[in-house]
Amino acid sequence: MLKKLTKTLCVATACAVVAMPVLAADGPLRGNLRVVIGSSSTGGDTYQNSSIIAEALAENIGINIKVDATGVTEAYKALGRDKRGNTVMIFHDQAYLGNLYGVKGYADPFESYIIGPTVAINPGNAYLVPKNSPYQTIEDIIQACANDTQIRVAIQPGGVSEIGYTALKNAIKVRYPGKEGNLVAVNTGSQSDKNQLLFDGQADLINGSVQANEQYTRLPEDDQKAMRFVWLTARKETIEQAHEEGMGATTRDDLLQFVSPSASVTFDGDKDFTFDKEFFFLYNKDMDPAIIEQIDASLTEIFEAGEIQETQKKSFFIPNFKPSAEAQTYLKDKRDQYEVIIEALQ
Amino acid sequence: MEILSNLTPMFFALTAFGVMVGIVFGAIPGMTATMALAVCLPMTYGLDLTNGLALLLGLYVGGISGGLVPAILLNIPGTPSSITTTFDGYPMTQKGQGERALKVGISSSLFGGLFSAVILFLFAPTLADVAIKFSYIEKFLIILFALTVIASLSQRLLVGLFSGALGIWFALIGTYDITDGGNGEYRLLPDFLVNYLDSGFSLLPVLIGMFGLGTILQEAENGVREEAVDSVKFQKGAKFSFSIFKGQFVNLFRSSSIGTFVGMLPGVGGSAASVLSYTQAKNFSREPDKLGTGEPEGVIASESANNGLTGGALIPLLSLGIPGDSTTAVLIGAFTLQGIQLGPLFIGENTVTWDVMMVSLVFANLVMFMVMFFAIRHIAKVVMVPKFLLYPGILMMCVVGAYAINYGVMFDVWTLLIFGVFAWLGQKVGLEIAPFIIGFILGGQAEIYFVKSLESFGTLTIFFTKSPIALFLWGLIAVSVAYSVHHTIRAVKRKNGGNGA
Amino acid sequence: MEQETGPFSVSIDFDQSHLFFPNIIHWVLVFLALSIVLVHGREIVRHVQGWKESYREHGLDYDRLRLFGTFGLVIAYFLLMNWVGQLFPNTGMGFLLVSMPFMALLSLLYVHDLDRKKFLLILANSVIAPLVAWYVLAQLFYITLP
Repeated sequence: MLKKLTKTLCVATACAVVAMPVLAADGPLRGNLRVVIGSSSTGGDTYQNSSIIAEALAENIGINIKVDATGVTEAYKALGRDKRGNTVMIFHDQAYLGNLYGVKGYADPFESYIIGPTVAINPGNAYLVPKNSPYQTIEDIIQACANDTQIRVAIQPGGVSEIGYTALKNAIKVRYPGKEGNLVAVNTGSQSDKNQLLFDGQADLINGSVQANEQYTRLPEDDQKAMRFVWLTARKETIEQAHEEGMGATTRDDLLQFVSPSASVTFDGDKDFTFDKEFFFLYNKDMDPAIIEQIDASLTEIFEAGEIQETQKKSFFIPNFKPSAEAQTYLKDKRDQYEVIIEALQ
Repeated sequence: MEILSNLTPMFFALTAFGVMVGIVFGAIPGMTATMALAVCLPMTYGLDLTNGLALLLGLYVGGISGGLVPAILLNIPGTPSSITTTFDGYPMTQKGQGERALKVGISSSLFGGLFSAVILFLFAPTLADVAIKFSYIEKFLIILFALTVIASLSQRLLVGLFSGALGIWFALIGTYDITDGGNGEYRLLPDFLVNYLDSGFSLLPVLIGMFGLGTILQEAENGVREEAVDSVKFQKGAKFSFSIFKGQFVNLFRSSSIGTFVGMLPGVGGSAASVLSYTQAKNFSREPDKLGTGEPEGVIASESANNGLTGGALIPLLSLGIPGDSTTAVLIGAFTLQGIQLGPLFIGENTVTWDVMMVSLVFANLVMFMVMFFAIRHIAKVVMVPKFLLYPGILMMCVVGAYAINYGVMFDVWTLLIFGVFAWLGQKVGLEIAPFIIGFILGGQAEIYFVKSLESFGTLTIFFTKSPIALFLWGLIAVSVAYSVHHTIRAVKRKNGGNGA
Repeated sequence: MEQETGPFSVSIDFDQSHLFFPNIIHWVLVFLALSIVLVHGREIVRHVQGWKESYREHGLDYDRLRLFGTFGLVIAYFLLMNWVGQLFPNTGMGFLLVSMPFMALLSLLYVHDLDRKKFLLILANSVIAPLVAWYVLAQLFYITLP
């Protein structure tokens, strides 16, 4: 009987091994690659952007790639455990902003991991007011604070959603020292919660996005839900790369009114603050450098072919490929800039 | 008509395929409708919007409905929203009425699904405007209202309340998450556990650990004896006929309405819907004490509410661009990938897509009914599988579900064991499982809405003065509490009377 | 934000807000625990005494082999699954290869009056079930398994 058991198990194992996906032929990256992302939502921009990239990579290298929306802490844990390069991570500026804001679970990505190539920008980070708000522009809001009117801003604390708020506070501090206290944060969670605070009159300004809030800006003014953009944090050059149709009925030219220099939030008195939400790879510290090279090379090919850019733009992403080495210095600089204003206000 | 050109055989085939896959996902303990949608999302990349939506809506309806199968037959809720289905469904199975319970559940699901589809079609924009009247305060009161079920579910009032509060306590362990608006700090967490528990215990592994592994441990302690499989008893159980629904129309209607309504409030979530409607069924029942002992009434309340969710959760999605629950959040991804923008203008600007979605939703409900109603005879036989084969199988599926729910976290598998042991030992000292689970499910939301209300308004009186809706909800809470107190007193009196005789 | 004043006013410091609700729950738990002791206290004492007596007379009556066997197997299952899974990253092999012997052993532990027919059933079940689950979930739907 025992013989039979062993035999059956052997057969089963054999079946299983045969059924295993054929290992990819060349290159250090083989077997199945798992891409973990810093968001636990499969409906969000991180997942969308990552699936676009993963699909292209899988086709180019000839391996299986699976995107898992584990959320940031679990993604870091999975990445930390895997030195062999079977797990990589895709995330955005939240990785270092979370660390700068001192949120638990956010290690310094430049020290604990290897920063990989950037792949895309989500240019949609926006600030909105109710359509019947007395504040027409972001400058009106800065002036209101300068005149001791309290402005409540609904944000999600500790990252991408807070950085625009921090910048605005910094701008008030630079121009009207001592008045920055008039800008106060209302800490909340999802986009729906932020919208709700605006509908309830519990916030004067909310953080949102072009993608999620554009239709609200087209509602008639007497609708409780109607909103208006006052500021997009993206760089002018970023928005200029979007399709001319923009998003919904708001064209690219419409959007350009809300970015610097038209909507100016100063960084230090001279130049304006801008923030592009950029997606990039993160690798395990001890991963084989050959894999980094392979992914860089593969992405270079993909972006040279030019198809992926169209897919990205269709979903309102701005293509932004920088190979690892370039991405590392670029993102380090970017972080150091934001560190200045975050530290100054804490 | 433009819509007709979209209604191809492919469209219906995809809906039906989605429903069937969804049912399987829903029926596996630990696999949810959300997961079914998430794993099938990449399949829609190759389809056009209409066909992609057909598949996803099929999965949605199937996934929500499939949860009743393990809930009724094995006492393991297949999805969190079928938790209340176990309260009466499983006792029916124990009485040999498994097939009957399944059919009651499926028919109620169909009613709830169609009811909510009609509401969605007729009133979506209007109801969206109602939904945004619910701020943190009103949402907190809804959760509080749902929590009152703990009182009516308790065998011993104080012990039940304690179990419920303990459930809330467990739900708070870990990070006060910034994505919910918290400050990202840890609490109730010793340092050496930070690495495992920073995201807290996940709901699904806790649920299937307590109901699945907990039961298996209990059985192992007693030696896993096979009861003689009594096929006569299995067949003999009262037959299903639609006359069960006689006198239940109010219940069906009320539960479906609660499901649809709770579904449309973003962030309140699915489990609250079935919990609320079960409470109300119990409060309004002519024989409230019988609920929980295997009454079709309870199954009707729970299942019509959780399918009522499907239409309800689509209301804010399609008329505000905001998902009503985690499953519809995946749908947003499908829309954006197709370049379709959701928001308050979606329905007006995409009438064809909107009509097609409605057709798919109604068709999916019908397919769900047909498939399950006629497959049920065979599914119900699961209870005849001997335990020595069934339990290892259940354990394996629980492991798959727990591991996959957060896309591959090993700690979630250990959570199964932790809460399996907890339920097994807890019951020995009198812990009441149902109130504990309900506290656990609702605890996190109760916190966020309560704390955020106070942060915004800075006074406790706001819970009464915020709006007429708040007052109305207080009224409902008072009635619900009064009912359960009344029933408790009556039950105690009867018991004492019985002892005296 | 304008702060309300009055007997019911509450102000929550955002930096400490993660402790606000847990504190309330702690008080609720303490209050309920005390109430339980007050109301059911005598009942509990009687219960514990009754249990002690029956323990003295009969000892603990439970199926040691099956209970501890279950614990042992489950713990081994979880540990091995993860370990084997790391040998074949992201293929679900850990799940597949460890589930088969686990299911077979657990079935053998639970079965009473083992005979040839039952043994074959167990073997078939423990090979087919994990294989089907693995194939459908990991291969068709690309779900990440250990």
